[in-house]
Amino acid sequence: MSKSINWFKSVNWLKLNRSLHRDIGYFCIGMTLIFAVSGIAVNHVEDWNPNYDVTQETVTLIGLSDQIEKLDFEQKEFEQWLLAELNLQTTIKAQFWETPNRLKLFSKQNHTLIISPANNEVVIEQVKPRVLLRAANFLHLNEARKAWTYFSDAYAVMLIFLSLSALFMVKGKYGPLGKRGLLIIAGIAIPIGFVVMYSS
Amino acid sequence: MKINSIIINLVIILAAASWSVLATSSPQTFGSGANTDNVSKISTILASPDDYLDKDVTIKGTIVKVCKKRGCWMELTSDKKFQTFKVKVRDGDMVFPMTAMGKTAFATGKIQGFPMTLERTKQYLAYQAEEMQESFDPDSVTEAITVYQLAPHGVTIVD
Repeated sequence: MSKSINWFKSVNWLKLNRSLHRDIGYFCIGMTLIFAVSGIAVNHVEDWNPNYDVTQETVTLIGLSDQIEKLDFEQKEFEQWLLAELNLQTTIKAQFWETPNRLKLFSKQNHTLIISPANNEVVIEQVKPRVLLRAANFLHLNEARKAWTYFSDAYAVMLIFLSLSALFMVKGKYGPLGKRGLLIIAGIAIPIGFVVMYSS
Repeated sequence: MKINSIIINLVIILAAASWSVLATSSPQTFGSGANTDNVSKISTILASPDDYLDKDVTIKGTIVKVCKKRGCWMELTSDKKFQTFKVKVRDGDMVFPMTAMGKTAFATGKIQGFPMTLERTKQYLAYQAEEMQESFDPDSVTEAITVYQLAPHGVTIVD
């Protein structure tokens, strides 16, 4: 019993706290950046697509309706003609008549060709994943589930440790019991204020 | 010193775990994955949807639309011309990638029906027509409809 008390007294808790805060802080840099950048991205999901860059271009092709209405219409032949006309180096993986006046073709390079024979128009829609943001959002929104759930939980625990250990980093007038304590109060009061104002 | 080595080991283990999680595979599975043994035709379900309500079914079709913002729904083609069926999850339960369009999906789950009022039916059909860039006359709608969709617990997407 007295041995463990002696050990307890011999540990420099402030120094250990600082070391842990520093090292765990270093470890959390990557994760924090991922979560923060992704947080900004998905916060504005109503204004832009945080995962994909979706572009659309409308092209008028003379003779498009004639190609489709040909008596000997062959899907493969038509696809080859269309891709050549649009100068797209890809192949079609699926097609779907959405309505009698609207045909959709899907390419292997993530193009969707929306064809309106009535007005000889093709809308070329291309979906390109925003590589880094897509990966960050994938992690932030825990799309993977599996082991990532446990890692995220561990990260959350580390954040809790960082915030609480910060209270014991500095003593004196720059510590939490000095004027800087107002910053802690502000950090707690702001979210509470939002809850009071906006939650019903 | 001990703490540093523990943290470095932790980093290596967690980085490896992250890599395995991020590695994508084909076919892609969501939730429990679809039961591909017993596939029901979408046209058969839509011919008498009330017979299938709250029953576990598997459907199959080409993915022709995906929710652009949250990936929370997708539309599969039916075996019948011009017909599609929506597969919808609660936000975040599964995230269907937009790059899956044109691929084949199997989805296993329960059929749900959402009866609408006449006013809501008109709004819904007007939105559908706008999406298809077609003209729409609200006065032509005289009866309320029920919208059916599948709430999946497992989805498998194959190339």
